[in-house]
Amino acid sequence: MRCLWFLPVAIVFLPAVPVFAHSTVIEHRQTNAIEIRAMYDNGEPMTEAQVTVYAPDNPSDPWLKGITTEDGRFAFVPNPDMEGEWDVKVRKAGHGDFISVPVEGSQQAAQSGKNWQGGGYTTLQKILMAALGVWGFIGTALFFARNRFHQT
Amino acid sequence: MHIPDGIVPPAIAIGGYAITGGMIWYSLRKINQFYNPSEEIPRASLLTAAFFVASLIHIPLPPASIHLVLNGLVGVVLGYFAFPAILIGLFFQAVMFQHGGLSTLGVNAAMMGIPAVLSYHLFQFHQWFPTPQRRPLIIFAFLAGAMALALSALIFTALVITTIPAEMNPQLERQGIYLGLVGYSIQAVIEGVFTMLLVSFLQRVKPELLDIKK
Repeated sequence: MRCLWFLPVAIVFLPAVPVFAHSTVIEHRQTNAIEIRAMYDNGEPMTEAQVTVYAPDNPSDPWLKGITTEDGRFAFVPNPDMEGEWDVKVRKAGHGDFISVPVEGSQQAAQSGKNWQGGGYTTLQKILMAALGVWGFIGTALFFARNRFHQT
Repeated sequence: MHIPDGIVPPAIAIGGYAITGGMIWYSLRKINQFYNPSEEIPRASLLTAAFFVASLIHIPLPPASIHLVLNGLVGVVLGYFAFPAILIGLFFQAVMFQHGGLSTLGVNAAMMGIPAVLSYHLFQFHQWFPTPQRRPLIIFAFLAGAMALALSALIFTALVITTIPAEMNPQLERQGIYLGLVGYSIQAVIEGVFTMLLVSFLQRVKPELLDIKK
């Protein structure tokens, strides 16, 4: 009986003691992370591409290095004290690109929402642009062939 | 195959422009020896259009996909017009679709244009054989198409493998480059077959496009 008083005290303090067996603890906190999605121009994700992040105050030394996931994604939490352009470089097998992500405080990040920014053209836009380009070449060919047409 | 901006150091990009400048001068000098160079421009324009859109056509090659380059075909049909044609095609690809980059335009032009001119000379070896024989023409067309792509892939590999930035994991990058080289070897065969089919078709319907006497 003498030691029973110790039991509630121990129960109260138990959660504060680190636990090394059986249970796991997952903590979370909400942050303004930047997520990038790297893909080839045909929409295929750049899996396991190397990512290098450069902070605005030091564009020559990497601030963070990592690898994209299977769907070409990579997320990082920029230092909120460092406002400005965060450069993210993605490269795999000699192919890659870099993007500058502006970080201007939490309000700006909240406004960005879940919409992807940047990226390339849609398929329809590409077809239209390619058609215009091809028409330019055909026009050049027709222009230089005009004398031949007149002769025949 | 196209090297984008920021992949190679500035010295390589400037060197690429120097080589491209030299090749353009040499090509224009050769073109100027033609009786009427402007007569060839319609053909060069159409082949430039084909080269320009080829990079947008993706061929699934599991686990990835490839896009045609067609520098061998351009070389076989255009000869010394191939280098300016490829430079113009690459310029529009970079500006409109971000395939390659403006800072690496010289490197890309040299990488794809020089093998194209070499493929033209390789294709001309078919003339060593008697003209009625069709087989040498087709064989050299295949070799020219495949060689141009393979040589471009080797130059690309040499450039990107020797300029891996210090902050990257070189082993992982090399692994990806070597894997890409396997894909390019298959692409070389595809481009060789494509060149062979087109040359065979042109020989039947319009042999003067290949400077071949029917």
